[in-house]
Amino acid sequence: MSIATQRGGELTPFGQAVAAALWCSFLAAAAATMLCFAFLDPEGLARGEVPLWWTTRSKVYALGFFLFWVTAAVASALTLFVVRRP
Amino acid sequence: MMDAAVPEGGSYYAAQQKIYPREVQGRYARLRMLAAWVLLGVFYLIPWLSWNGRQAVLFDLPARKFYVFGLVLWPQDFIFLTGLLVIAALALFFFTALAGRLWCGYACPQTVWTEVFLWMERITEGGRSERMKLDRAPWSVRKLARKSAKQSLWVSFALWTGFTFVGFFSPIRDLLGDVLALSPGPWETFWALFYGCATYGNAGYLREQVCKYMCPYARFQSAMFDRDSLVITYDAARGEPRGARRRGADPQALGLGTCIDCTWCVQVCPTGIDIRKGLQYECIACAACIDACDAVIDRMSYPRGLIRYTTQNALEGRPARILRPRIVLYGALLAAIAGAWALAIVLRTPVALDVIRDRSALYRLLDDGRVENVYEVKILNKTEQPHTFRITVAGDGDLSLDPEPARFRVAGGEVYSAALRVRRDAYEPAGSQDVVFEVASESAPALHTATRGRFLAPAR
Repeated sequence: MSIATQRGGELTPFGQAVAAALWCSFLAAAAATMLCFAFLDPEGLARGEVPLWWTTRSKVYALGFFLFWVTAAVASALTLFVVRRP
Repeated sequence: MMDAAVPEGGSYYAAQQKIYPREVQGRYARLRMLAAWVLLGVFYLIPWLSWNGRQAVLFDLPARKFYVFGLVLWPQDFIFLTGLLVIAALALFFFTALAGRLWCGYACPQTVWTEVFLWMERITEGGRSERMKLDRAPWSVRKLARKSAKQSLWVSFALWTGFTFVGFFSPIRDLLGDVLALSPGPWETFWALFYGCATYGNAGYLREQVCKYMCPYARFQSAMFDRDSLVITYDAARGEPRGARRRGADPQALGLGTCIDCTWCVQVCPTGIDIRKGLQYECIACAACIDACDAVIDRMSYPRGLIRYTTQNALEGRPARILRPRIVLYGALLAAIAGAWALAIVLRTPVALDVIRDRSALYRLLDDGRVENVYEVKILNKTEQPHTFRITVAGDGDLSLDPEPARFRVAGGEVYSAALRVRRDAYEPAGSQDVVFEVASESAPALHTATRGRFLAPAR
């Protein structure tokens, strides 16, 4: 038994909260990534002052997605934390 | 385990037991199986289809183009993707209001992949009681063999799923070649493993916990429900009081209802609930309990339908209505938006013209008394064939173009940039004006579009 799962892979309340935060932020990140990169072309941005690796679209898409996911997950986790009842 | 009614340590949490759903057969199980075959077939086969010498369905993210059979969508066509998502959401609302959680029971990837993983578990570890016994038993050669057979199946299937997923974004035949040559690209490998791990974890381990603790739809679907939505319900009036009895015994003489309390409905439930306790948000409406109950009740020679698809109104003997305001509203919205979307796709012009004013100068006065504006034009040929396009300009005054004729050959699926100069006499008319640039294919005049631009000139 660990902090997030118990025997047989079933989630503890903490595990349930983590899973819910991760999954809901995943959905939000997927939508945000689609919306963001439908309008922004990393290669178009690369003409300005941006690092060299911006020129690979696949890389920027992936990093953009994970950045959105981490941001949304942190927001979800903090929300869960502040609305928590003792 | 803590008692849910008397929270200890401030928590209402009762430790979850691992759920071992029993195998079930019947008409809804067949329907679920059919849905799973169709949906998985679509997912695993579509990337292998070809269309005009290219992959039929390919979301080419690096090139920013989506190929869907004959249709090629560009980032400028993002509105269609948005429209599709709106249609999907409305369809979910409509079908939920009409027939309950059809999505959860039959179509959700979580349900479908869980069924496949359960099937693999069943053929390697055996039925429900065998699996429970195996998990309780100490490690032995037999247990190790069964567990590793299951894991091999699960891992291979998850990897194949991840590979197929990446095949929607990267040409799958090339991808297969790279994998067979053991040199897949780093990003392809990463995403295949990412999706494969998600499939393995969600369908192999989390299963019903995704629906119970993680899924937002499971929580808000009740907002679309009313008393006329189709739900799976236990008919308490018919079943209670429940109790065991010998086959052929008269339940009325024993003072019993038709429920023999065999608990099959609980054993087959993938989310581990007891449907006899009433409608619960954990119920994904998979109808496994209906099949299980029907099978038992047939053996008892009672009429079917102790657990059945019905509505709250029908159960209470009130007239059931299919056409309600919310059904009409969702249905009308769905039909209107889906119709508009399909029409827009059909009428979509596969050419686009962007005109950007040259930023270095507002205008230039020429020696011959004319004024000149410089534009950067971009022709987007969204078809898959090359076309020669001609650009013309219209507006007040005697407008002329340089080059004239402004003809540009643009390869299929390409963007062509060119500098275009527009001139006219400086004061005829005086001041700035709007002009219209039109682009048309010389070989297919129907392929044309227009865009407005601003022509700057001195007022006096």
